[in-house]
Amino acid sequence: MATLTVNGTDVTVRDGATILDAARQIGIDVPTLCWYPTLPIVGNCRVCLVSVEGSAKLLPACATTAADGMKVTTESYAAVENRRGVLGMLLERYPAERIDERGAQNEFERMVKRYGVSVENRSGLPLRAGDDRAGDPMIQHDMSTCILCTRCVRACADIQVVGVLDVAYRGDHAEIIVGADGNPEHAGCTWCGECVRVCPTGAIHDVLPLAKFARDAMQKPATSVRSVCPYCGVGCQLDLEVRGTDVVRVNSPWIEEATPNMGSTCVKGRFGTDFVLHRDRLTTPLIRKGWVKRDGRWRYEGDPADVKRWGRRGGPWRDIEGESNTQKSRPRINPLRRLPTVGGPLGDPRDRVATPADWYEPFREGTWEEAMEIVAQELTRLRDSHGSDSLAVFCSAKCSNEENYVLQRLFRAGIGTNNVDHCTRLCHSSSVSAMQRAMNTSAASGSMREVECESDVIFLLGANTTESHPVFGAALKRAQRRGAKLIVADPRRIELAQRADIHLQMLPGTDVALLNAMLHHVIHLGLHDQAFIRERTHGFDEVARAVEPYTPERAETISGIPAHLIRRAAELYARGPRSSTLWAMGLTQHRTGTDIVASLLNLILATGMIGRWGAAMLPIRGQNNVQGASDVGAIPMVYTDYQPVTDPSIRHRFAQAWGVPDERLSLTPGLKVTQIVTKGSPVRGMYIMGENPIISDPDVAHAEEWFLGLEFLAVHDLFLTETARYADVVLPGASFAEKDGTYVNTERRVQLARKAIPAPGAARGDLEILLELSNRIGLPTPFSTAADVMEEIASVTPSWRGITHARLQETGGLQYPVEHATHPGTAFLFADRFPTADGKATLVPVEFLPPAELPDEEFPFWMNTGRQLYHWHTGTMTRRSQGLDSREPVPTVELSPADAAEMGVRDGDAVRITSRRNSIEIAVRLSPRVARHQVFVPMHYREAAANLLTNPALDPYAHIPEFKVCAVRIEPVAPGRHRALSVERIEPLVPAD
Amino acid sequence: MGFPHKSHPRETPVLSTHFGDSEARSLSGWRARGGYRALEQALGMTPAEIVNVVKDSGLRGRGGAGFPTGLKWSFMKPGDGKPHYLCCNADESEPGTFKDREIMRWTPHALIEGCAIASHAIGAETCYIYIRGEFTEPLQTVGAALDEAYRDGILGKSAMGTGKRIDIYIHKGAGAYICGEETALMNSIEGRRGNPRIKPPFPAVAGLFGQPTTINNVETLAAVPPILTNGAEWYKAMSLSNPKSTGTKLFSVCGNIARPGNYEVTMGFPFREFLHDICGGARPGHTLKAVIPGGSSVPIQTMQEADATLMDYEGFVANGSMLGSGGVIVFDDSVCMVRMIGRLARFYAHESCAQCTQCREGTAWVTKILERMENGGGTTRDLDTLLELSENMTGKTICVLSDSCAAPVVSGIQKFRHEFEAHINGKRCPMRSAAAA
Repeated sequence: MATLTVNGTDVTVRDGATILDAARQIGIDVPTLCWYPTLPIVGNCRVCLVSVEGSAKLLPACATTAADGMKVTTESYAAVENRRGVLGMLLERYPAERIDERGAQNEFERMVKRYGVSVENRSGLPLRAGDDRAGDPMIQHDMSTCILCTRCVRACADIQVVGVLDVAYRGDHAEIIVGADGNPEHAGCTWCGECVRVCPTGAIHDVLPLAKFARDAMQKPATSVRSVCPYCGVGCQLDLEVRGTDVVRVNSPWIEEATPNMGSTCVKGRFGTDFVLHRDRLTTPLIRKGWVKRDGRWRYEGDPADVKRWGRRGGPWRDIEGESNTQKSRPRINPLRRLPTVGGPLGDPRDRVATPADWYEPFREGTWEEAMEIVAQELTRLRDSHGSDSLAVFCSAKCSNEENYVLQRLFRAGIGTNNVDHCTRLCHSSSVSAMQRAMNTSAASGSMREVECESDVIFLLGANTTESHPVFGAALKRAQRRGAKLIVADPRRIELAQRADIHLQMLPGTDVALLNAMLHHVIHLGLHDQAFIRERTHGFDEVARAVEPYTPERAETISGIPAHLIRRAAELYARGPRSSTLWAMGLTQHRTGTDIVASLLNLILATGMIGRWGAAMLPIRGQNNVQGASDVGAIPMVYTDYQPVTDPSIRHRFAQAWGVPDERLSLTPGLKVTQIVTKGSPVRGMYIMGENPIISDPDVAHAEEWFLGLEFLAVHDLFLTETARYADVVLPGASFAEKDGTYVNTERRVQLARKAIPAPGAARGDLEILLELSNRIGLPTPFSTAADVMEEIASVTPSWRGITHARLQETGGLQYPVEHATHPGTAFLFADRFPTADGKATLVPVEFLPPAELPDEEFPFWMNTGRQLYHWHTGTMTRRSQGLDSREPVPTVELSPADAAEMGVRDGDAVRITSRRNSIEIAVRLSPRVARHQVFVPMHYREAAANLLTNPALDPYAHIPEFKVCAVRIEPVAPGRHRALSVERIEPLVPAD
Repeated sequence: MGFPHKSHPRETPVLSTHFGDSEARSLSGWRARGGYRALEQALGMTPAEIVNVVKDSGLRGRGGAGFPTGLKWSFMKPGDGKPHYLCCNADESEPGTFKDREIMRWTPHALIEGCAIASHAIGAETCYIYIRGEFTEPLQTVGAALDEAYRDGILGKSAMGTGKRIDIYIHKGAGAYICGEETALMNSIEGRRGNPRIKPPFPAVAGLFGQPTTINNVETLAAVPPILTNGAEWYKAMSLSNPKSTGTKLFSVCGNIARPGNYEVTMGFPFREFLHDICGGARPGHTLKAVIPGGSSVPIQTMQEADATLMDYEGFVANGSMLGSGGVIVFDDSVCMVRMIGRLARFYAHESCAQCTQCREGTAWVTKILERMENGGGTTRDLDTLLELSENMTGKTICVLSDSCAAPVVSGIQKFRHEFEAHINGKRCPMRSAAAA
C-alpha cells in the first residue's frame, strides 16, 4: 500500500501500482498511447510523462511505481509541453490536415485536439509507410496513420499469443510488419482482429463489407448495442455498431469490463456476422406450392407432375449425396489475394455463397396468416389424429432461452409430447448423462477465468479450443505462459497439442483405456485424494478394482500413447495442486461417449480436482446457447433445471405454471434427436427451429430420406437451409441482432443480448412467432416480451430464481445458481457438497470398448470429423459471411503427408473418401496435424458432407452418434481431374492491380 | 594507433603495456607477463574482499557514465538464491572510440581474467562478452584466448581447480549501435530486438533473463587484474587532479590531429598538453577549432574550453562536456560544423531503436533540418526549431540515445552559432564555397 498525492488529491493504491493506476483510480485522465490495460508496459510513446516533486526529470506515469508520499502533477507546464511536443512530432508524419477537415476521429486525434496541438507540417518528412495488406478480406492497413505505439504487436503476442506483428527496421524507417515476409498466412494469423481493436488511430482497421453494399448506411449516425456473439459457447459480448437499420461493424467491449471475452473476439465474432445482412435472408413466409385452402381448411393438392418428378416434398435440386459426389471447381481467383467487390472479377461476393435459385422453386411467398394457419392446423390435426407423440420439435441451441422455453412449453403443454430435443444430443449429451449419473449436474463446475488465472495444470481432452473456441483458446495459451502446465489428449497434433507440455496422441476412441490407466497409475503412486474420496464420494473401491488391469503398458497397446507419457501425465495431473479438466466433442461423440466421460469424472473425483477455485470441471460448450436451451427444458427427459418429466409432483408444478391440467403433460420421456430421425420412428410431423439436421445428423443420406417421408414439416430459420427446402412451411425468423433474449455460455453465465436492428422485410422475431403459434394451438401465453418470459422461467427454475433482464443488464451477466434477487451468482460449484441426495458424488467403473467401426483392409483409414476455425457447423451462417468464406472457400480433408506420398496425391488434389455408407469427393490439404492412417474431414460443407460417411452407431445412454470414428477408404480421383484446390494452392488467375 | 605501438614518454601504460606485443596474446605469453596471478589471488579471496579492493581503488566505469565499479558490484546481493550474470560490454560502437578494440586485439587474456575476477566477485557463474559484430579481429582473438583458457582449466566447471564454476561466452552483436546500451544489450543476448528497457528495475535487480546482472565495460574489467596485483593504493595514487578520478584512462584520438591513436594517461592529465604534446597538435597549416572529448554523444568543446580541461570525470564536466568513453574527436578549421553535426545526427537517426517518439521522430527531423541547412536551405526559424526539438529530446526518453543526438546540436548551436548563421544568411555552406573557390 502506498499513499500519494495526484494533482492535490490523496490516493492509496496497492503495492506495485503505477502512478497511472493511481490517477485512474481517482478519475484523473492521464493521456496514454502505448499503454493499454493488461498489455506489457513498454513506456515508449512518452505522452504520459508527469511531474513528480523531487525528480528532475519527467517520469512516465505508466511505468513508474507509485511510492509513498509522492506528489504528482499530471498537467504541469513541463508535462504539457512535453505532451504537445510528442503529439507534434507524431503529427509530422500523420495525415494531419484531415483533423481540421472532419474533426477528431480517433483516440490519437482526440488527444491532439485536447492539447490544442497545431497540425501544421513543419518538417516535410514523408508520411509513414508500411504493409497495406492489400486484398485482405477482413483486416487492412493504412500505415500513414500508424504512430508506432506497438499496441497491436503486444496485443497479438500477449493477448492472443500468436505474434504475427512486429516492429521492423529502426529509426524513422521503423514500421509494423506482418510476419517475416508480409504474408499473414505464413505468420499464423487467425484474423481475430485484436490488432484492430487496440489500434488508437485506425491504421489497422476492419474491412466493412457493408460499406460496399450499403454506402448510404455509412452516412448515418452510429449507435452501439450490446449483444452476445452467435457462435460458440464462450459467450463473448459484442458491441454492434448500428447505422440506420444495418449492423455495420462489430466492436469489442472495453477490455476492463467484466465480460467473458475481456474485449477479445475471434474472427467469427468480429468478421463473421455479415450473414445478418445477406440477401439470402428470408423476408417472407414460404409455403410449398400445392397447399390450398378449401372450406376453411388447408390441404395439400400438389401438381401431380411436380409430385411425380420430385416427390411430395422434394425439389429440383440434387440431394446432399448427389452434390457431395460431384467434382468441385476451384474459385475463379484466390479470394485472399484480392478483395472481391461488387464490380470485381468475382462479381458480387455474395453470389458464390448464395442459396441456389432452384431451391426456391417449390415454394410460393405466403402471408403470415396463411403460414401460421397451416402450421397450427397441421400440428393440431396430427396431435388429434395420431396422438401427441406423432409430433416432435427441434429447439435450437442458437436461439435464446426465452424462445426455447416457449417452444418446449408449446409442445409439452400445447401438444402434450416430450419429443423435444435439440442439437445438444449431437454434442454434449453424453457429458450430461455421465455428469448426471456421477454428481447430478449438467454444467461446468467452474469458470473460464479461474482456468486462465489460477489453475496449475490444465488437462484438455478432445477439444481443439484455438479453432472451436478461439477466445478461450487464447486464454489457455495465456495460462500456459503464466506457468500452468498443459496436457492435451487428442488424436491430432492441433495447435495446443504442439504447445502442450504433454501431448497424448491416441488412436481415436481409446480414451477410456488412457483415463483408466492414468487413474491406475495415480492409485499406484498413492496420489489420489483419500480425504476427498472418503468424505465426498461413493464407489471408489469398485473403480479402483476396475482400473487395476489398466496398466499404462496395456493402455499403450490400446491407445498407442507411450506408457511413460501416460505416467507423466497422470502424475502431473494428480499433483496439481489445482488441475482443471476441460473437454469437448473428442470425448463425447462416440458410441461410448458416456463411458469416456465417466472415466474422466472418475479421475477428477479420485484426485479431488473439483470444487476448488482453480480446479474446474469444464465441458466446453459448442454453441452460444446449447447450455441454456438444455437448462430451460429443450431436452426430452426434463423440464427446466433438469427436473424429470417422470415425476408427477414436478409435472403438477409445471401444469399449474402453464395453466393446463396435469394430464396434458406427458410422464413419458420423449424421443431424442437420433431416435426421431430414424427409420421406424413414430414421428409424422415436425417443427424445426434454427437447426439443420440434413447436414448435421450422422449418415445424412438416410436422414434426408427420412425427412422426405414426413407428413408435415415446418421450419423456422433465417435462410432456406438444406433442411428447410423440404418443408411445407418456412417461417422467416430473426437473427441474434434482431431480438432481445438471454443466452447461457459454457460457464453457466446468463447474458443478455439486445435488439439492434429490425428483422428484414416481413421476417419476425422468433418469440413473436412462437407466442402466436402457441395461442393458435390453444395454449395461452401470459407474456409479450422476452423479459416477461424470463420471469416465468425464473419462477419454475430454482437455480435461476434471482435472474431478471433488469439484473442482467445491470451486472453484465450472472452465473447461475442465482438463488434470489440479490444473489451475486456462483463462480464455482461443489465446494462443500454435490447436489445429490447425500451430497456425495459417485464413481462408476467403466471398461474400454473399441469404436463401433475400425479400419480394416477394405476401409484402412480412421476418419475424424469436426470444426474448422473459419466455419461453423452446417455453414448456414459462416458460408454466407464474405470474410470467413474467402478464408476457407472449399471443403478439404486433412491428410498426413506420408499417406499422401504413398498414394501419389499432392496438396490440392481431389480424392474420393468412401465409408460403408457413402462417399464424397473432396480436396486434399496435406497436414502434419493428423497421424498416419487418420484423416480429418470438416463437417461444414454441403458439397462434401462429412456426415454422409459417419457412423450412426449410438451411445446407449445419451444416444449420441459416433461422429468421431468411422472407417474409410481414400482414392485419388482420376489423374487430370485435379480441379479442387485447397486455399494454399489457389493461384491468382487475374494479376492483382 | 600505429603498429608496432610506441608509447609516448608522457603516457602511463597500464592497460596498454603490451599493445603491439603479439606474444602477449597467447596464454603462455600472457602468463610470462604475469597474467592470471590476479585471478589466482582473487579466487582465494571472498567476493566481499575483492569488492572492497575495487571500491578502495576508486575505479569507475570506463564505458561513459563513470559509475564507481566497486559500488556497482556491491549491489549484487550474495545468497539471494538467484543466478547472477556478468555482462561485458564489448559492443564498442561510439563514434570516435576504439580503445576496447585494442584491449581485445592485444591482451584478450586481460579481459578474460578481469571477467573471471568480476564473476567471482559478484557471485556469477556465467559471463557473456558481447562483442560488436564488426569487430572481426577482436572476435577471433578473444575467441582463441577463451579456448586456451578453457583448455588450461582457468575457466569451466572448476576455475583454476578451485571448484568454482566460471563460464564465459562470447555473444556476437549484429551491427546495432543501440545494443551498446546496457539493457538493449541484454535484450539482444536474450534473442530479442535490441530495445532498451525501462529503468527501474535496474540490471542489478532484474537484468539478463530477469536475474541480477552486472554489466561492465571492457576497459573497466581489464583494469581489475592490475588493481588486485598492485593493490588499491597503487591505483588510487594514479591521479593528477582529484581523488574521485583515479587510475589511468585510454583515450582514442581521431580527426584532424597530427598523431591519432590510443593513448593511456593518468586521470587529471591536462587536455591541452595531451592534444598538443602527446598527439602532436594540429596538422601543419591548420588550427584546431573544436573537440568532442568523450565519443560523439557528449557536448562539443571549444578549444578554449578544451585548453582549460583536466582529463578526468569532473574536469570535462567543468568545461562544458563529459569524459564519456574517451573517444576524442578533433576538428580543425577545415571542418564545417553544420555538416559535421548533421552527420552525427544522421548517425543517431539511423541507430535509433524507434521505441520512443521523441527519439524516433526527433532524430529524423533534426537530421532533415541540418542537412537542408548545410545545403543552403536553412532559415533562422530552423535554429529555434532545432533547440525546441533538442529540448523535447533531452531527458524524456527510455535511454539516452535521443539526448546524445541533442547534445552536439545544442552545444554546436551555442558555441558555433556564427557558422549556422553563415549557412542561413549565405544560403550555402561557406566552407564548401571556399574550397570550391
